[in-house]
Amino acid sequence: MSAAESLAVQATTPGRGLTLDSPLVLKAIAGVVLLVLWEGVVRLWAPAYVARPTGIARVFVGVMTNAQFLADAGATLGAVALGLAISLVGGTAVGFAMGRVAPVEWGLRYYVNSLFATPMVAILPLLALWFGYNGDTRLAVVIFASFFSIAINAADGARSVPIEFLEVARSFRARPLATLADVVVPASLPYLIAGVRLGAGRALVGAVVAEFFVSIPGLGYYILYHSRTFRHDEAFVGVIVLVAAGVAFDALTRWLTRRYLPWHRRQ
Amino acid sequence: MRATIETEGEPVTASGAAQPRIRISRAGMRYDAIEVFRDVDLEVGDREVVAIIGPSGCGKTTLLRCIDGLLPLTAGELRVEGEPVRGPREGVAMVFQHFGLFPWKTVAQNVAYGLKMAGQRPDAIAAKVAQCIKLVGLAGFEHYYPHQVSGGMQQRCGLARALAVEPRVLLMDEPFGAVDAQTREILQFELLKIWEMRPTTMVFVTHSIDEAVLMGDRIVVLKGRPSGVHEMVEVDLPRPRSRATLTLPRFAQLREHVWSTLMADAIAAEHEVRQ
Repeated sequence: MSAAESLAVQATTPGRGLTLDSPLVLKAIAGVVLLVLWEGVVRLWAPAYVARPTGIARVFVGVMTNAQFLADAGATLGAVALGLAISLVGGTAVGFAMGRVAPVEWGLRYYVNSLFATPMVAILPLLALWFGYNGDTRLAVVIFASFFSIAINAADGARSVPIEFLEVARSFRARPLATLADVVVPASLPYLIAGVRLGAGRALVGAVVAEFFVSIPGLGYYILYHSRTFRHDEAFVGVIVLVAAGVAFDALTRWLTRRYLPWHRRQ
Repeated sequence: MRATIETEGEPVTASGAAQPRIRISRAGMRYDAIEVFRDVDLEVGDREVVAIIGPSGCGKTTLLRCIDGLLPLTAGELRVEGEPVRGPREGVAMVFQHFGLFPWKTVAQNVAYGLKMAGQRPDAIAAKVAQCIKLVGLAGFEHYYPHQVSGGMQQRCGLARALAVEPRVLLMDEPFGAVDAQTREILQFELLKIWEMRPTTMVFVTHSIDEAVLMGDRIVVLKGRPSGVHEMVEVDLPRPRSRATLTLPRFAQLREHVWSTLMADAIAAEHEVRQ
């Protein structure tokens, strides 16, 4: 067996311990190569203030233990969490109503689709005028960014409940509310989760852009301020926290799906 | 309403004479321009087992769905236990062709569904679920999800869900149509045993002539376009029925009779298509 063949075989059989070609080791090698490239390119060709791995590592602990930074991170991520929660409740309610009640669908469909397609950056100045140059605007942008993706997915989910299941419910004389709880909600959950994941990404972008525009304390403003004052290593720590928040949320939804929707994707 | 039922010369079975569970008279069904069946008369007695057989598209399943109250007839009358059917009724339960199990519920939760919808108390539900799961041979699989068990077990679960509500009328839409041949045979004999333990009025749709003869007291042959009751076959095989029933000469005779009735139709339909 040639080396290439053995690599191909072993790549498809993970969990054989940390050999040189196990997925975990390959991931680590790729990461180190990227960091070395980044460091090298910046050192060779970029001005001194440009962020590089060693510079970020040097300031990382200091920034992460800085009370002001933690307050900023808390403000941004808190607004995203609150906005997402509001969108989840409201968007799910609107989506289910659209998906199951035809007149609601006819009435709202074009508006919900149009608002989903509206670039949130384009209406940010308007929201800033309506809600003021403060955290309310950020919350409004987060809700605007996430509400419609959740509503559209909830509507798709509620609409695509297999007729077979609804017929079983009817045959066993289920009341409408019982059918909503026992059939429509569980059947729509995969769609709903997809909507929330999409909405979470948009919400994070919305919060950062709102802070850029209305200059309110938060991770986005922290990154903007430190970029403009040529402290890119510090700014990059803010970026890392944002990425970590996005990745963590994604991992959480995946874990919840595996834990509570074991039937999902296994039919 | 009229009490007499015409079934092309075949006499109405004696067991249905006292108080028919199901009484269908001059039933018709059409979807817009397509007339599915017309002038269907059928009376099903207490604890009688009726098989509905016929070529694809003849409206067997539609008729069954009408009896369950899932679809309204467009003509004629349909009464269950003396009352006109206006929607799904208490006392009538359906076993669905593709099981119709909720993938997000475990076997036990699926079996409990009808009882839960009927508003029964949790302790009563638990007792009945355990009993029905044992009855259909699913003990030990209570906490599995449908995707984790075989097709045969899924249909056992669908059967247990219907039996749990203790129906007086059990409707089955090609109950074993979606499982493999061996599982189908096993399930047929088990259903016969279960029926001996808990005899109910049963109406089932099938494509299998053997199944219809083995299980039914009568076989309704639907045929034509729009279809109607072409023939009503009395199955005078002794009960309890078992594997030994399959070896009786009378079984072979009845099987042959239904076969020729159906196949003549199928061959004619083939010719019609070719023209």
